[in-house]
Amino acid sequence: MSLLELQKNYFQLFDLSVGFALDQAQLGERYRQLQKELHPDRYASGTAHEQRLAVQYSALINEAYATLRKALPRALYLLELAGMSKEDISGQQIDGSFLMSQIDLREKLVSLDEVVDPETALEQLITDISGDVNQLHDQFSRAYSAGELAAAASACVKLQYLEKLLLEAEQLESRLIDSQT
Amino acid sequence: MALLHIAEPGQSPLPHQTKRAVGIDLGTTNSLVATVRGGRAAIVPDEKGVMMLPSVVNYTDTQMPLVGAGALALAAQHPADTLMSVKRFMGRGSRDAIRDAQRSHYKLAEGEEGLVRFLTSSGERSPVEVSADILRVLHQRALATLGGEIDGAVITVPAYFDEPQRQATKDAATLVGLRVLRLMNEPTAAAVAYGLDAAEQGVIAVYDLGGGTFDISILRLHQGVFEVLATGGDTALGGDDLDAALADWVLQQCESPSLAPGQFRQLQAAARSAKERLSDEVAVDLDLTGVLPSGGAIRVTRETFESLIKPLVKRTLSACRRCLRDAELDAGIDNIVMVGGSTRVPLVREAVAEFFQRPPLVGIDPDQVVALGAAIQADILVGNRPEGDLLLLDVIPLSLGIETMGGLVEKIVPRNTTIPVSRAQEFTTYKDGQTALAIHIVQGEREMVSDCRSLAHFELRGIPPMVAGAARIKVTFQVDADGLLNVSACEEITGAQTSVTIKPSFGLTDDEITSMLQASFSHADEDKLARQLAEQRLSGWQLLEGLKSALEADGEALLSADDREAITAPMGQLQALLEGEDADAIRTLTERLGRQSETFASRRMDKSIREALAGMSLDALDDEVMQ
Repeated sequence: MSLLELQKNYFQLFDLSVGFALDQAQLGERYRQLQKELHPDRYASGTAHEQRLAVQYSALINEAYATLRKALPRALYLLELAGMSKEDISGQQIDGSFLMSQIDLREKLVSLDEVVDPETALEQLITDISGDVNQLHDQFSRAYSAGELAAAASACVKLQYLEKLLLEAEQLESRLIDSQT
Repeated sequence: MALLHIAEPGQSPLPHQTKRAVGIDLGTTNSLVATVRGGRAAIVPDEKGVMMLPSVVNYTDTQMPLVGAGALALAAQHPADTLMSVKRFMGRGSRDAIRDAQRSHYKLAEGEEGLVRFLTSSGERSPVEVSADILRVLHQRALATLGGEIDGAVITVPAYFDEPQRQATKDAATLVGLRVLRLMNEPTAAAVAYGLDAAEQGVIAVYDLGGGTFDISILRLHQGVFEVLATGGDTALGGDDLDAALADWVLQQCESPSLAPGQFRQLQAAARSAKERLSDEVAVDLDLTGVLPSGGAIRVTRETFESLIKPLVKRTLSACRRCLRDAELDAGIDNIVMVGGSTRVPLVREAVAEFFQRPPLVGIDPDQVVALGAAIQADILVGNRPEGDLLLLDVIPLSLGIETMGGLVEKIVPRNTTIPVSRAQEFTTYKDGQTALAIHIVQGEREMVSDCRSLAHFELRGIPPMVAGAARIKVTFQVDADGLLNVSACEEITGAQTSVTIKPSFGLTDDEITSMLQASFSHADEDKLARQLAEQRLSGWQLLEGLKSALEADGEALLSADDREAITAPMGQLQALLEGEDADAIRTLTERLGRQSETFASRRMDKSIREALAGMSLDALDDEVMQ
C-alpha cells in the first residue's frame, strides 16, 4: 500500500464517509495523527530518500485536509469524485435573478465609501452575504444527496461568486480599520 | 524514522548517547546559540560567560574578520568596514537595499544579478558571507562547549521571510559546514519555548518585534501538535526603527544638517541606549559625545519617545489585526508571547495588552526566547526525545504565484497554507511545434507581477513538438518544511520529462555556492581535505546508524534475507572505510548504500502510515488498494 494510492479519496484518508456533512473534530484529530507520523520533522535525521517521501506524503495530507476542511473546496471535490470536470462545473447555467443580485451587492460594496457610516453598512453587507452562503450550502447538500449533480454544481458556482465578494468585502473592512488607526 | 543514537566517528555507539543539537537565533542585532542539556534548554555563552553575540562583523583587518562586541567597538571608527544589521540585506536585490544601505552608510558594490555586495577594505562581502562569519563564531562556541561535532542545527528566520531570504540563511549555514535540520520561524520558536507542555492546549499569539523585522503569528496547540494558523508582519519594521525615530528627532532638535558615517553610528548607539533606559526611567540624557562637535547631551522624556514611536507601534497592531482575521478563530487568544528586546518598551507592552485584551507573557527573556525554542526543536529533530513529543506545522508566509498574460499574477499557493505543500498547474503551448516554455515565479500578495518579489525564471525545455495547445505540461511546485521551493515538470500526454532550468532572480546559484564554499575552505585554518573527510565520515555514520536502527526495528519484518544481505554487506564495507582516510570512497559507497536502501525506506514509511491509520478502517483501505 502506498499513500499516494489513497489520494483517489481524501475522505478515506481521514476515515470519514463521503458526503458534504462532516465531523470537523474527527477530521482535525486524524489530520494531526497522520502528520505526527509522516511530517518531514519525523525524518529530519533520516536518509535523503525518507525525507523526500515524507515531504510528499505530508504535502498530500495537508492538501487533503485543506480540501475537506472548508465547505466550498469540499463541495467541489465531491463533484469531482462524482465524475464532473472543472469545465462541467463552471459551464453551469446560472439563473438571471442570482446574477442581478450579485451586480446589486457589488454596487453596494463599491459605493460604500460614500455612505455616512461605512462600517455598519459593510457589516450588514457581510452578514447578508454570509446568510446567502449558508443557504447555498444547504442547497448543495440537498442536491448532492439527491444525486442532482447539475443543481449541486450550480450551487457551487454561486458559492464561488459569493466567496469572492466576501473576500473583497473583508479586504475593504481591513482598509477601513487601518485608515482609522 | 528518527535516529535514536549516533556515535562519533571512530567510537562505538553507546546505548543512551544523546546527539549534539543546537538552536541558533541569527538576529538582526544580536545572535545566540542554545542547546538542551539535562532536559533543559539553555543559552551557550562564550568563554567570558556572555550570552549575546552582537551581529556585527568588522572587515578592516584583511586576514581575520572580527565578530561581535569587538567589531561593534570599531563601528564609529570604521563605519563602512563594520557591517551591522546585515540580516536586513539577506536575499535582497541591490535595488531594494539602497535605502537601507544609505541609512547605514555602507558602500555597495554593483553585484551581478542585482545581488547586494558590501565594499570593505578587505574586499567585497555578500550578506550571506557576513552571516556565515557570525554563524562560524556561534558554531565554534557550541563545539567548544558541547565537546564535539554538532549533529544538527535549527536556525530561526522571521516568519515573514520570503523564499530568497530563507535560502540565503540556509546558504550561510552551508558555508560554515553546519547541518541545518530545519529553518524555523522565530515566533514559532518562541511559542515552543513557552508552551512545551504538550498536554496544554489553546491559542497563542506571538508578537515579535525584532531588530529589523516585525512578525505576528497565531498558533494553536492541540494534542501535542503546534499548528500555525496565520502569520503576518512587516519585514521593514523593527526595533532599529524605534532607534532611528529617536535619532531623527535628536537631529531635528540639534538642527544638525548631516552627519559623517562615524557620527551617525555614534548617534544610533546613543539612541538605542536611551530607548533601553527609558523602559525603566521617565527621562534620560542622550549622550551626544562624538555626534556633535560640541558634544553634550540632550534630555529625552518617555513621553517624547512614546509620541515618536506611536505610529510604528500602530503599524504593528494593523498587522496583528490582519493576522487575527486570517487565523479565522472561533474563540479568543489564550496567551500572548513577547519576543525581541524592543518589547521591553512599556508603550509596546501596553498597546499589545490593550489590543489582545490580556497581559502578555514575559516570563522568558525576550532576547533569549527564540534561541531556546530553536534548541528544543533541534533536540526533537535530532532524535533525542521520544517520538510524538511535539510536532510543528508551519505555514508559507507569502503567496506563491506565476506571471500570466498582461503582467498579472495567478496565485498557486496562497499565503498561510500549511507546509509542506505541493501544487500542480497545467500549461500548454501556444505555437505549433513549440518545445520550450518560460515561467516566471513570484512571491507576494499584489495583483501585478511588478509589485511582487520575483523568485525565479524557469525555462521548460524538451517539450515534444505538437500542434499549439495540444501539449499538457504539468508543473509541480513543492514548498518543503523549510519554506523553500522546488519545481518539477512533465508533459502528460507523452510522459516526457521536461528539464527545468532555474535562474534565481536573487540569491545564489548552486555554482556560486560551490565556489564560495571552496573559497571559504581555502581561507579556513583547517586543511580542506581533512574537513571534507570529516564531513563524508559524518554523513556515512549518519546513514549507517540510521540503517542499523531501522534494520533492528523492521529488518526482519520488511525485508527478505537476500534483501537484508544486500544492505548489510555494503554496511560492513562502509564501516571499514570509515576507519580509513579515503573521502571519495566513503562518499561513493554512502551514496550507493543510500540508493540501495531506498526501497526499505519506502516500506518503513508505508508501515508508519499503516500505524497512523490503525484503528481506522484499515481493511477497507487494503481492499481499495487490492482492487
